[in-house]
Amino acid sequence: MSASKKKIYMDYAATTPVDPRVVKAMYPYFTERFGNAMSLYRLGQETKEILEESRGSLASLIKAKPKEIIFTGSATESNNLALKGIAFANKKKGSHIIISQIEHPCITESAKWLEKEGFEVTRVGVDKYGLVSPENIRKLIRKETILVSIIHASNEIGTIQPIREIGKICRGKGVYFHTDAAQSFGKIPIDVNKMDIDLLSASSHKMYGPKGAALLYVREGVEIEPILHGGGQESGLRSSTANIPAIVGFAEAARICEKEMKREGQRLKTLRDKMIKGILKKIPDSYLNGHPEKRLPNNANFRFDFIEGESMVIQLDSLGISVSTGSACSSVKLEPSHVLLATGLKHEQAHGSLRVTLGRWSTKSDVNYFLKVLPPIIKKLRDISPFKKHA
Amino acid sequence: MPKKISRMGPYTKKVFECFNSPKNYGRMKNPDGVGRVGNPVCLSPRQNIHIDNNIKEINNLSKGERVLSHDGKCNSISRVLKRNYNGKILGIKNKLGRIFLTPDHLILAIKIPKGDKFLRIKNRKNLTPAWFHSEDLRKGDIVLYPIPKEKKELKYLKIDIPKLKHDFRSKEIPRRIPLNSDLLRLFGYFLAEGNIQDKPSRSFITFTLNIKEKHIVEDIKEISKNLFNLGITIREIPKRKTVVINLYNARLARFFKGLFGNGAENKTIPDFIMNLPPERQKPLIYGLWEGDGYINLKRIGARGGYVTVSYKLAQQTKILLLKQKIVPSIYVEKKRRTKGVNHKKAYRIHIGQRDSLIKLCSILGVKYIPLSYPSVKSWFDERFCYTPITQIKKINYKGLVYNLEVPNSHSFVSEAFCLHNCGDVMWLYIKVGKNRKGEEIIKDIKFETFGCVAAIATSSILTQLAKGKTLKEAAKINKKKIIDSLGGLPLIKIHCSVLAASALNKAIEDYYGKKK
Repeated sequence: MSASKKKIYMDYAATTPVDPRVVKAMYPYFTERFGNAMSLYRLGQETKEILEESRGSLASLIKAKPKEIIFTGSATESNNLALKGIAFANKKKGSHIIISQIEHPCITESAKWLEKEGFEVTRVGVDKYGLVSPENIRKLIRKETILVSIIHASNEIGTIQPIREIGKICRGKGVYFHTDAAQSFGKIPIDVNKMDIDLLSASSHKMYGPKGAALLYVREGVEIEPILHGGGQESGLRSSTANIPAIVGFAEAARICEKEMKREGQRLKTLRDKMIKGILKKIPDSYLNGHPEKRLPNNANFRFDFIEGESMVIQLDSLGISVSTGSACSSVKLEPSHVLLATGLKHEQAHGSLRVTLGRWSTKSDVNYFLKVLPPIIKKLRDISPFKKHA
Repeated sequence: MPKKISRMGPYTKKVFECFNSPKNYGRMKNPDGVGRVGNPVCLSPRQNIHIDNNIKEINNLSKGERVLSHDGKCNSISRVLKRNYNGKILGIKNKLGRIFLTPDHLILAIKIPKGDKFLRIKNRKNLTPAWFHSEDLRKGDIVLYPIPKEKKELKYLKIDIPKLKHDFRSKEIPRRIPLNSDLLRLFGYFLAEGNIQDKPSRSFITFTLNIKEKHIVEDIKEISKNLFNLGITIREIPKRKTVVINLYNARLARFFKGLFGNGAENKTIPDFIMNLPPERQKPLIYGLWEGDGYINLKRIGARGGYVTVSYKLAQQTKILLLKQKIVPSIYVEKKRRTKGVNHKKAYRIHIGQRDSLIKLCSILGVKYIPLSYPSVKSWFDERFCYTPITQIKKINYKGLVYNLEVPNSHSFVSEAFCLHNCGDVMWLYIKVGKNRKGEEIIKDIKFETFGCVAAIATSSILTQLAKGKTLKEAAKINKKKIIDSLGGLPLIKIHCSVLAASALNKAIEDYYGKKK
């Protein structure tokens, strides 16, 4: 095949490359400063210091107290800990949990497992933009409800939920509120106090940090059970030797994000809007999935009639562009994305979806290149398709 | 040594080549033959499909009818397809029924990996269901049956049967009655034991019960008094060990006839009852069981059972039980003659699994304290009933096969499990010419395909394989040849090659048809 030399990464929602500044900060902790943070001698204590410093940096990004940050291995682990930990610690209070229909699989599958253990789960629906209505949450909360968990920004369609309103309702009713902020952390401002968030998950590799580090914010006083038992690290909530290099990288990545958030967000938003405008104008029968405004600055999710997503992804890949799709053909289960279906799309429509997510190294020329190569690809696939409109 | 194939993701290099620069695509003007295929994989005729709240044979289905899909919702059929088939057909059987289908049809299933670990049901439950080709499934693998989700509450029933012209005897009955547990129980008794006498001057409802079933007699008496303000007549016939109850009211008789049909073989349960929330359906099941069912808890392997001569009623009872998360198995009992009594062909529903039997007993109000260790072979979650395949049979078949096009979900449910059509569509055009020997050859060929990488690649390679070949040779191109030419396809994409092969066959058939 004629693989292009150009390499344009447009799938920053899947994962991100590590920022060179982050790599530099991590480097000493692999070789020189390798100590175990639990050891009493200086080498260990030095590591402990940097661990606490990192905790502080991450806490400040969401206006939390350092001791409220629990380091974990991945956002999946954080979400598992949040759901299962809260469920088992608050069994006496009740056994009802509310999540949305557009959660990441690590939330939906944890919830499913909890159902097997005797908990009751309500899955609140979304509108055509993928928005959860706070009023619906208010109606669904009942006496036995112990936890509401709503994704902050959708990993697929980028829709940002009215977290502040939902948080306020949960606080008013005395129900714990968890949000999965893996996609939004470091990209848009979060204030756990103003937003009344009790628990929050975030991940390092979605914000130019290394893989293998993530956090769960747990508000002081929240009752939660660990799922990993052992040496009692992380206030006993997550026993494991701290992955210091990754955590240091995570913290450095957070510092950079905090510093550049405003400018970078604006830059990406301009690029993205240019891309959306260009695509919708250049390609007939194309649509934007998700909310036109309330969406992550770097996320665009398109839908093209008459063609199938896997074909688009592979064609773009041969031109050096990496993007993803919610089509059923590309999944092992031959099932289209549950998020797109929840917004009311039909199976055929979800088939033709394409997710494009920009990031720190996306440039104007990348977007121009994308705008140049996509229309002929769509045209070619439509020429192949029997469903095209007849001239 | 295994042959080394260089791969790009799940695909071989050749697949990529064919996908990236497909040959012979686009529409052809004035083709000699056209093959349009959407769902190349099929079921043999007379296979039973789950529609709305009922079961119908696939060859009797038509556009617009609503079939149950894998998400538990009903979707309308947009097209019923049939074609000629000659080859292997698989008969896959589980507790719920048996279906004959082509080896490439996708079935919603769980494939149990080898090893001791998966002898335990607990570990099996953690496996993820996916769509598998019927050919890849083995005895013991688990197939899924979606639990119908449509629910509609109904509190009152209207009796809108006008008074008959010459009916002066029937008492006035209420025009609106509450659809409560009493009424549902009565419906259950009627479905099991009742029938309608509908003659011009004498229309009434009859229940024929065993002489021992005194409590049912009392119950019917009470219900009829409370709901309709009607008395009943009771006549015992000790010689036949039966007791006959008559409920004289022409309007009510017609009302029942309209709801349930008449004659034991034709009885069905109307939609409004099938759509009630499962909790509300319990009294109906109670009534059905008191009438035609039995529970035997004393024998080794305690069991419950239900026998009816109506196929539809048997299937509907199955659906009712699935909604209660009770797993039934269905047997057919042949027409026979024992002790001088003729028995019609009957359907026996059997409930043997421990947790199911406990649920059934609680509905029937029977005390059941199980003694032996429970064996669990089938299970439920919110969406599906999971049952193992008990038998796979291979037969050779020649004749028509059928398939359904269901736009939204691309899936439909047979009497035994859930089937899938991938939704890929291929249109193939051919132009026919003659070679030097005077044989008919494919002079030109073009395709249009909606689908994934594999679908487009198989389409392209097919046109390359077929171009220039005589029609006879071209008709022999099968999925194996296509897959080999591509250097292999991922398991889950095998059906794409079937799509291509059957499109070509269709186009050649179309050409011969036009020539005639």
